[in-house]
Amino acid sequence: MSQDNFLDPESTFSPANENPSIRALVVGVGGAGLSLVDGLRLDNFQGVEHLAIDVDSRALADSIAGEKLMIGRRHTRGMGTGGEFTLARKIAEEEKDIIRKKLEGVDLIFLLAGLGGGMGGGAVSVIARLAREAGALVFAFAPLPFSWEKSRHSQAQECLSELRKFSNAVVPLPNDSLLQVGGPDATALECFAEAGRNVSKGISAICSLVFRRGMIDVDFADLRKAFNRRAGRTLFGYGEGEGEDAIRHALRELMLCPMLHLPDVSKAADALLILITGGAGMAMSALQQASLEIREEFKAGEHVVFGAHVDENLGERLQIIVLGATDLEAGAKADVAPSADQVMIDSTKNKQAHQSKLRKQVEKNQKSNARSRKRGKKIPVDQNTFSFMEENNQRGIFDDSSRNLYEGEDLDVPAYLRRGVKVAV
Amino acid sequence: MSKIIGSVEIGTSKSKALVGEVAENGNLSIVGMSSRPNEGMRKGEIVDFRKVACSVHAAIADAEKMSGTTVDSVYLAQSGSHLHGTMLHGSAYVSSSDNRVTGHDLERAAEEAQRREAESGRNYVHFVRTPILLDGQVRDDPVGMHGKKIDLGYWAIDGDEQAMRSAIHVISNYNIEVSDLIISSIASATMVAGPDLRRAGTLVIDLGAGVTDVVLYRQGYVAFSGVIPVGGDHITGDLSMGLRILERYAEKLKIEHGKAAPDPSDEKEEVWMVGDRTIGDRSVSRKAISDIIHVRIVELFEIIHKELGELLCQDELKGGILLTGGGSQLPGIESVATKVLGIPVRKAGFPPGISTELAQPENATVLGLLHYGLQDHGLPGQIKEEAQTGIFEKLASIVGIGN
Repeated sequence: MSQDNFLDPESTFSPANENPSIRALVVGVGGAGLSLVDGLRLDNFQGVEHLAIDVDSRALADSIAGEKLMIGRRHTRGMGTGGEFTLARKIAEEEKDIIRKKLEGVDLIFLLAGLGGGMGGGAVSVIARLAREAGALVFAFAPLPFSWEKSRHSQAQECLSELRKFSNAVVPLPNDSLLQVGGPDATALECFAEAGRNVSKGISAICSLVFRRGMIDVDFADLRKAFNRRAGRTLFGYGEGEGEDAIRHALRELMLCPMLHLPDVSKAADALLILITGGAGMAMSALQQASLEIREEFKAGEHVVFGAHVDENLGERLQIIVLGATDLEAGAKADVAPSADQVMIDSTKNKQAHQSKLRKQVEKNQKSNARSRKRGKKIPVDQNTFSFMEENNQRGIFDDSSRNLYEGEDLDVPAYLRRGVKVAV
Repeated sequence: MSKIIGSVEIGTSKSKALVGEVAENGNLSIVGMSSRPNEGMRKGEIVDFRKVACSVHAAIADAEKMSGTTVDSVYLAQSGSHLHGTMLHGSAYVSSSDNRVTGHDLERAAEEAQRREAESGRNYVHFVRTPILLDGQVRDDPVGMHGKKIDLGYWAIDGDEQAMRSAIHVISNYNIEVSDLIISSIASATMVAGPDLRRAGTLVIDLGAGVTDVVLYRQGYVAFSGVIPVGGDHITGDLSMGLRILERYAEKLKIEHGKAAPDPSDEKEEVWMVGDRTIGDRSVSRKAISDIIHVRIVELFEIIHKELGELLCQDELKGGILLTGGGSQLPGIESVATKVLGIPVRKAGFPPGISTELAQPENATVLGLLHYGLQDHGLPGQIKEEAQTGIFEKLASIVGIGN
């Protein structure tokens, strides 16, 4: 799969087309966040700035981000937090005025932070909150540690739910699934790089949607309206196709995208962003067909933002990117009302049914989370009411049945996942 | 006068019902048979009572229609991971002064063995007798022999009362009785492993959709039985997750292209998911399919290996290992199983005299139910009152539940 073309420098649109009134900011928090920011290759969007926030002065010095912010000098004297996410949270709270200043006047914020780390886990939700208070639309991309890193993993799950409270969309990127990303003989480095590229693509997609003029344009207000609720589960996928049947190939690849099949990813979306970029020969009817199929696939309601851009450099190729968020609480506003253009939309019947199901799920998860914390990792006697949030969705067709524990392993989770066997689709 | 009996298996993928006619000379002929898809089960346990009831009732009605008669009572197969087996022992000293063993001595030993009560919320489904020892010697029928002490054991299988009750309710809602609950594994084994095989020692593995039932015979008697909550549905689930396709396509690919182990010819071979090559169809690497299945199958047999422990020894299993159930149709599964278990594994066949239509591995349980139900499982030397009339009534007292 050749994906670099999206990042090719020559595939830039004329910067003159850019919408000057909108400001976007990519914020990397903590070690993993910084390296993700460094790895970003955005095609020269003028309105996009990069900001790195960390407590570790050396990590900051190595970063190539345009703007850097060091916090917590009083607590760690320029060193890392050592995985202490409560400390990181405290530091962020204490220095929130400085952070807020950086976030002021920004319309769109991308947060990149590894939730397993101290800084990434602790500070990012504070930063997300500040960003929301400043009136920005917040999208977060959050790598999660491997599940065998027991303590870090459970910490990351906590941070994730915290982050979800304040973001418009959170895309979790579990390290567990890195194995299923990339080619059959991919090295660890390549897998990480691949995950990084996916983040780049997501951000580029949203940026080009907002900043550039295309065949079918999306207004920033539309985007805001679609995602102007609290983020529940999110989905993010990418597909690319080439040749005569480009759109079909791209659709196929999109459905296969490993990012869409991560444990924590929703299979349905209330708010969906679809961006199709293709060469000049892109047919309108094909576009329509594609958007129809994607909508159907993700059972999207009325909040669909559809954008189509032409990029001559793509030639025969065509790319599809989807980003979706599922609202966990029907019609609920975000904790912090960001701006005046927020619109309350009546839910359709269909959506309500869909959401009520999700809500049940959430309640179940909350209950089980509380239990799991109380009981630790012990095998429970009563399995029917018990499920871990992070493991729930790995069970596929057995999602609705009780867990199937044998010597500490849930046999309903596919054997190839538990044994770490690579499957080449 | 011939008698009509029925058997029902509430399986995870299908409900099956059989109607059999027992002629006066004891010969059994199958006169009605039906199978209906069942969507109300997961892993051998009822999750949607209504759906299960619909499917089972339709199956019974069809089978009755086909046979042209009605059944009053059926043997019901019981499976599910809630079943547990334990070995219970009992012994008695021969009471008569001339050291001659009487039926009464056996009864006392049996009583002692069965005295142990099941835990609360659980009930015994089965007491399967193991050989009788007379002064340490195995005797099939010691009544009338000389000896001092009788030892006998029962492989006792207990299950969750709730689960068994709901299965019985499904049947009684159709206004027929459950004459006995029989463990699926034992039912299947009755069908596919004849007395010779059982005496030589054999392990029967029934790979169902929801669960895998195993039963191990040693010297003709049940020495172990177990239920592993992994079945063909797990393969489908793995494929659906691993290949990122819908469950129904995963099921289709499993049946059409599934293999227990990847082989070199799979490389580069692609198969089509839907088959009509329209939008939405896609090709899937055959290697990916067999890889995913392989990992699961290997794990399943590893679990069986672990569960059996030392019982799995070549010397005691001269009959080898038999595979039956729908999952045994997976190509190449015997060689994978042989590799993991270390003892030759083969697919089970049916005894002659069963029509080819019926002699499918997935029918082993429901056929075995009838055969097992008709056999006499009492202690030797007892007056066989039930042989005449009481087959239908013998149950409740033994099972301790139901009507």
